[in-house]
Amino acid sequence: MALEGNLQNMALSDLIQVFHTDAKTGILFLKGTHERGVIYVADGRLIDAVVVRGKERTIVATRDEAVLQMLTWEQADFIFRYEPTVRKRPIRIVHSGQCLILEGMRRHADPVRTLSYYNITPETILHLAALPRNVRSGVRLSIDQWRILSWIASGQNVHTICQATGLDVPAVTRLVVELMAIGLVEIAPCLSAATEPAYRDCTMIASAAPVYAHDVPYINKNSRSFSNVCGTMRQVCSEIDLLDVITRCINQL
Amino acid sequence: MTTHVLKIVITGGYATGKTQFVRSISDIEPVSTEQVLTATTERALKHETTVAMDFGSIAINDQITLHLFGTPGHERFDFMREHLLVGCLGYVVLVDSCRPAHLPQTQHLLFRSMELTEAPFVVAANRQDDPAALPLNYIRRRLGLPFNVPLVPCVATDRTTVRGVLLTLLKHIAARLTLHS
Repeated sequence: MALEGNLQNMALSDLIQVFHTDAKTGILFLKGTHERGVIYVADGRLIDAVVVRGKERTIVATRDEAVLQMLTWEQADFIFRYEPTVRKRPIRIVHSGQCLILEGMRRHADPVRTLSYYNITPETILHLAALPRNVRSGVRLSIDQWRILSWIASGQNVHTICQATGLDVPAVTRLVVELMAIGLVEIAPCLSAATEPAYRDCTMIASAAPVYAHDVPYINKNSRSFSNVCGTMRQVCSEIDLLDVITRCINQL
Repeated sequence: MTTHVLKIVITGGYATGKTQFVRSISDIEPVSTEQVLTATTERALKHETTVAMDFGSIAINDQITLHLFGTPGHERFDFMREHLLVGCLGYVVLVDSCRPAHLPQTQHLLFRSMELTEAPFVVAANRQDDPAALPLNYIRRRLGLPFNVPLVPCVATDRTTVRGVLLTLLKHIAARLTLHS
């Protein structure tokens, strides 16, 4: 009992639209080539999400960022299962599904935006994020992520972390973004205004419904027309009018 | 006493519930031509498949009988569907509401059937009892169904909903007949 398919047959944006319009509740599992994702949906609203990588299930992104990452996937098998207990989970996704779809489209159109760390420079100072009370344990980090995290704890900038760890700037930036996506790290408050995600403004934008062909032309080229069929049936029902027969069927079925 | 036989065809893609549909409503033990599947990919969904047709019958009264013909779902048996559609009064196209991957195949099947016959048809969205099932408006949009073609929720294992689908088809046929006359 589940909705199953592949993102090639039904895009994640379509799934989110369907969840919203039909007020679905359940868990959506996505299995990509290297990563796996989970989205929790309660009464049509996306409430939590996570993307993990590898057998170790290293968390790559959570919440809104996880949904945005999954929106960039073009091929992944999915299963959506009805699960009423999802309603009891805390709401950790800030933006609506529509908003995330629009942001996903924007990132898709401009791949640079997929790398949301484009505004992290070597001078960027990082600090540990304040964890909410309802945070759950079980976050698994890679060795490099741990190394970066230990330096961030002492309030260093990216350049200093690079020197201390021996990693290059792109590698550190990538790891920092992963830690930010998990929700463990933030950019220091003095720079927060410059790094505010642009999609916060899109909540007022109208929903973009996918376009499909609504009108399908009927093709009436074959000689086996409906009137011919009716004619044949009238021969069969020689004494009684066909319509009368069908009406009796309707009444008695 | 004259007996009137009305031919109704139940068609649709692979593993959409056509055989079960006929089984649920037929008065007689359906005549089935099921064979064990050999392809591993196809066995993921079911172990047996219809290779020629399913046949069921509903006696409305002493004079009128509905004959139901279920077609095979595999594309390689398309010729059987073409044969079965000949002379039918109307047909039901079954679609699985939980497998969006099957929707393009169903759309192709709809176009092909409309080329073969002008007989009225309804689309029945099977497995609508699943809370995760796709909503009807989405299925209509993906299939590109005009609003004058009925799209009916259905559970192939539930006789009541199957009866509802057949009633919708008969009413649709009656409306078309009235229009023609």
